[in-house]
Amino acid sequence: MSRVGVFVCHCGTNISATVDVAKVAEEMKNQPGVVYTEDYKFMCSSPGQGKLKEIIDEHKLDSVVIAACSPHMHEKTFRNAAEAAGLNSFKVEMANIREQCSWVHPDKAEGTVKSLDLTKKMIEKVRLNEELDKIVMPVTKKALVIGGGIAGIQAALDIAAAGTEVIIVEKDVTLGGHMIQLSETFPTLDCSQCIMTPKMVEASLNPNITIYTYAEVEALDGYVGNFRARIRRKAKSVVEEDCTGCGICQEKCPKKVDNPFEMGHGKSKAIAVPFPQAVPNVPVIDRDSCIYYKTGKCRICEKVCGPKCIDFDQQDEIVNVDIGAIVVATGYDTMPLDRFGEYGYGKYKDVIDGLTFERMASAAGFTEGEMKRPSDGKTPETVVFIQCVGSRDESKGVSYCSKICCMYSAKQTMLYKHKVHHGKAHVFYMDIRAGGKNYEEFVRRAIEEDDANYIRGRVSRVYEKGDKLIVKGADTLSGRPVTIEADMVVLATAMTARKGADKLAQTLGISYDRYNFFSESHPKLRPVETNTAGIFLAGACQAPKDVPETVAQASAAASKVLGLLSQETLKREPITAEVNEANCIACFDCLNICPYGAITSKGITDRDGNIIKEVAEVNPGVCQGCGLCNAACRSKTIELRGFKDNQIYAEINSLAV
Amino acid sequence: MESLQSKAKELIKDASVAVIIGYAAGTKKGKTKPFFAYSEEDCEKLIFTPECVNNLTIYLTRKFDFMKKGKVAIVAKGCDIKTINVLIQENQLKRDDVVILGVSCEGVVDKDVILDRAELTADLPEDKKSIKCITCDVNTPSDFDHLFGEGVESKAIEPMTGGIYDEVDKVRGMAQGEKWNFWMEHFERCIKCYACKKVCPLCYCDVCITEKNQPQWIETSAHERGNYAWNIKRAMDLSGRCTFCGECDRVCPAEIPLNLLNQEMAKLNYEAFDGYRAGYQTEEKPPFVSFKEDDDEGFIR
Amino acid sequence: MSEEKVENKEVWTPRIIAYVCNWCTYGGADLAGTSRKTYDASVRVIKLPCTGRIDPLFLLKAFERGADSILVSGCHPGDCHYNTGNYHSRRRWTAFRDLLEFSGIDMRRIHFSWISAAEAVKWVDVVNDVSEKTKELGPYTEFQRINEKIKEYDGIFAEQG
Repeated sequence: MSRVGVFVCHCGTNISATVDVAKVAEEMKNQPGVVYTEDYKFMCSSPGQGKLKEIIDEHKLDSVVIAACSPHMHEKTFRNAAEAAGLNSFKVEMANIREQCSWVHPDKAEGTVKSLDLTKKMIEKVRLNEELDKIVMPVTKKALVIGGGIAGIQAALDIAAAGTEVIIVEKDVTLGGHMIQLSETFPTLDCSQCIMTPKMVEASLNPNITIYTYAEVEALDGYVGNFRARIRRKAKSVVEEDCTGCGICQEKCPKKVDNPFEMGHGKSKAIAVPFPQAVPNVPVIDRDSCIYYKTGKCRICEKVCGPKCIDFDQQDEIVNVDIGAIVVATGYDTMPLDRFGEYGYGKYKDVIDGLTFERMASAAGFTEGEMKRPSDGKTPETVVFIQCVGSRDESKGVSYCSKICCMYSAKQTMLYKHKVHHGKAHVFYMDIRAGGKNYEEFVRRAIEEDDANYIRGRVSRVYEKGDKLIVKGADTLSGRPVTIEADMVVLATAMTARKGADKLAQTLGISYDRYNFFSESHPKLRPVETNTAGIFLAGACQAPKDVPETVAQASAAASKVLGLLSQETLKREPITAEVNEANCIACFDCLNICPYGAITSKGITDRDGNIIKEVAEVNPGVCQGCGLCNAACRSKTIELRGFKDNQIYAEINSLAV
Repeated sequence: MESLQSKAKELIKDASVAVIIGYAAGTKKGKTKPFFAYSEEDCEKLIFTPECVNNLTIYLTRKFDFMKKGKVAIVAKGCDIKTINVLIQENQLKRDDVVILGVSCEGVVDKDVILDRAELTADLPEDKKSIKCITCDVNTPSDFDHLFGEGVESKAIEPMTGGIYDEVDKVRGMAQGEKWNFWMEHFERCIKCYACKKVCPLCYCDVCITEKNQPQWIETSAHERGNYAWNIKRAMDLSGRCTFCGECDRVCPAEIPLNLLNQEMAKLNYEAFDGYRAGYQTEEKPPFVSFKEDDDEGFIR
Repeated sequence: MSEEKVENKEVWTPRIIAYVCNWCTYGGADLAGTSRKTYDASVRVIKLPCTGRIDPLFLLKAFERGADSILVSGCHPGDCHYNTGNYHSRRRWTAFRDLLEFSGIDMRRIHFSWISAAEAVKWVDVVNDVSEKTKELGPYTEFQRINEKIKEYDGIFAEQG
């Protein structure tokens, strides 16, 4: 028989005005298992809590019901107080007779009847509550950052600055991401390389930061504080530790290849770094292009390499790392343009996308910063910029706004004008979205100082006529058709989630939206967390973002990581699912329905180690206690602690007429 | 059936399977019985006729020990293979652990019909067919290792129409009170023998909820309250899983129209969850462990 | 409530059991209290972590135990604290509602809603609406008749020892 104590709180007059608290306390005496009841002015006050402790001790209570305010208000308070008196904190339940009774039912008779029911209900439940221990988990004080663009670098630098070890996994050959491709950045027009390169170098020199480039996260196990990631370091065919970055291999390599860093315009070599400031400055052999891998002959790079670090037989290396927290900063892609035939991309060489323009405008780019159109190298006298290519276009593209295109198109008109003083830039736009510090002023500068001609409207067609591109569109403000004879057309293509972002999300166990952008835990209040504890987001992998926002989010994610890793252990509520292994028949509905992947299959072995049976197993570190599995289990073999079937049943039963 | 028997012998002879689960003539005239062939001699008793109504896949479940004997072969009609698919989907069976001796079938006899031996031919009159056969579209099994019987083309049917579904629609059309009385009249007769659960290949839990009394979700006494709870719980648990083998309905000594409940659920799943039909594939997740963000929620305010 | 008390009462009051999730609807109901909105007192809330924890058996048992109406309420789609709990429960309810309706349960007595932690007003409106409708319908006698019949049986058995 249990020994339940019931405490009915007056809450001043908040409860007692509309609930006969004395009657509730009196009647509860008759409930089975109840050995003590009392009504008291303020249970949450210090004397109230003192009384609670005293009575627990004096009457050897094994469970307690506090009929008072909402558990959301004071459940923790009373659980802590009970724990201090030596009672397991999960043997305390609250009957909500304030928020859901006294405050909402002015009729005292009705309020009293309901309070009696609610209190009785919790007595029935608490009698079946089990003593539960908080789950204590160790914390691996190391972080993983996936992605080595500006978001990843910023997050890693901030984490490392606090003295915490961090690993950056970058799938490309070098750090830098998209930002290092940009020529200048809005709204200041400072050179992207000038501000990005020092950060890349800083990251590479920081003793707390380990960088794996040309690597990908293949698998993730574990849970907050205790993840294990499997990283595949793809074979670079170059021994990274020995390479001095002299560049002679690249210089002597006979095989020319397209350079994706230059958006396919510049040429690179089969062994190369994408650009001279690459970090690490270690070239990689592109095995698909390399003559040796194709014909078995050449090996010139090996011959010319001073420190002898070419290794044609190098294999992919698998590295398992234990980490406590993860920042996902995998950035974005731009939308493929093949579905926008009307703009002539791919058909006409002088129709280019925004990133190609960036490389053209960059002093280190394929034209060394000179405005030369791809087809014939002529200086374009008239350039048309088309915004919202794919963005805000439900039918052919995506319905969201890519957010950065208004600003970078304005920037590009300025860069163009600064290089071709007599040239003319035209911009077709839907709306100008220049919300941000100094953003509107920046667009005005493009229009007023640098003479960009903004036309509100859409382009219907681009076609070639002689060496000109005829851009046909409509000016929706004047209602007139517009035809511009242009030398070059620049498309502001939509930002999309990285190809394969959904796969990565599944690997990591985080959620993603219908566009494959990773989902934040709460759109307003938890913007850098994911719904998987210990995994955070930074940058454009969550939604289109510009550089300042990305950096801010990266720092926010880093501070979340540091907050988490600053703890010695993590404690969490033991409200988790448990499996009765004897009865489990491994239909795995629980495994399939679990939103967290907290359930796995486990083999039960006999003494000789033969698997005799398969059952479901709950990882309590991952389980968040939703109880979906409990409801899905046909035989109730998996149950949620704290909300087990017999507890709920007792609650329902107590309300029987 | 000679080819079935000879293939069975072959399997036993080269020890590719430990046992063949099939049918043999019953002791009662016009009936067949489940039969387990362990030897070549046994195999000569194997038959397949329209009287072979049983869904033998129950012997593939943990309710019996056959799967522990090694690889097992089973004589399976198209409808039985649907159950096999669900068992595979639910991790109760591995396709490689079973040799399917698929049999083409034009229908089996209704539970209330006893065929005279003389009528024992492939063509069974429509009016003597089990109700499940009326809406069958798997006359030729969809999956098998060896196929016996030929020339039976699976009928193209409009799913969830005709046969039992007409009966379902009739109940759907009743007024609420009428439905309640209809079911209470039936459930009143339930004696909680649990034959429905015992015969069902998808009721494979080791410990059934009816065997648990902490808490007692399903009352043990055979009164309408407990009977209602049991039958509803059973139908709910089979929702999105039942393949309409009709065994529960066939064995119910109280003649409760269990097919109606199960096929109402099948129809609902088809209508509400993108035409989902249990047993037609093994890869897709069943409806209650999956969802769509735009699932209908007209009933939620 | 014991039987005597029911008899002593002049007017019948409906018994409504509400199964709500901890994060959204329970919060909404709390907010109704904090904002001192008043509503009908016939509802009794059973708090679960998530609507996904709600087993069809809970609803059945509530009717068996004399509930006149049932309310089930959770987070709006996309708002689930556990990401997808309410999507799964929505499917479960779709089937279970259909089964209840098919088996003759009075569907005017079972209500579903999405009520967020901010929607105190919606909580009040829904609870008032459910109790008003239940009052119009009167006691749910179909189950209660069975219960009385069973009590009779029990009496007979008791007599026979």
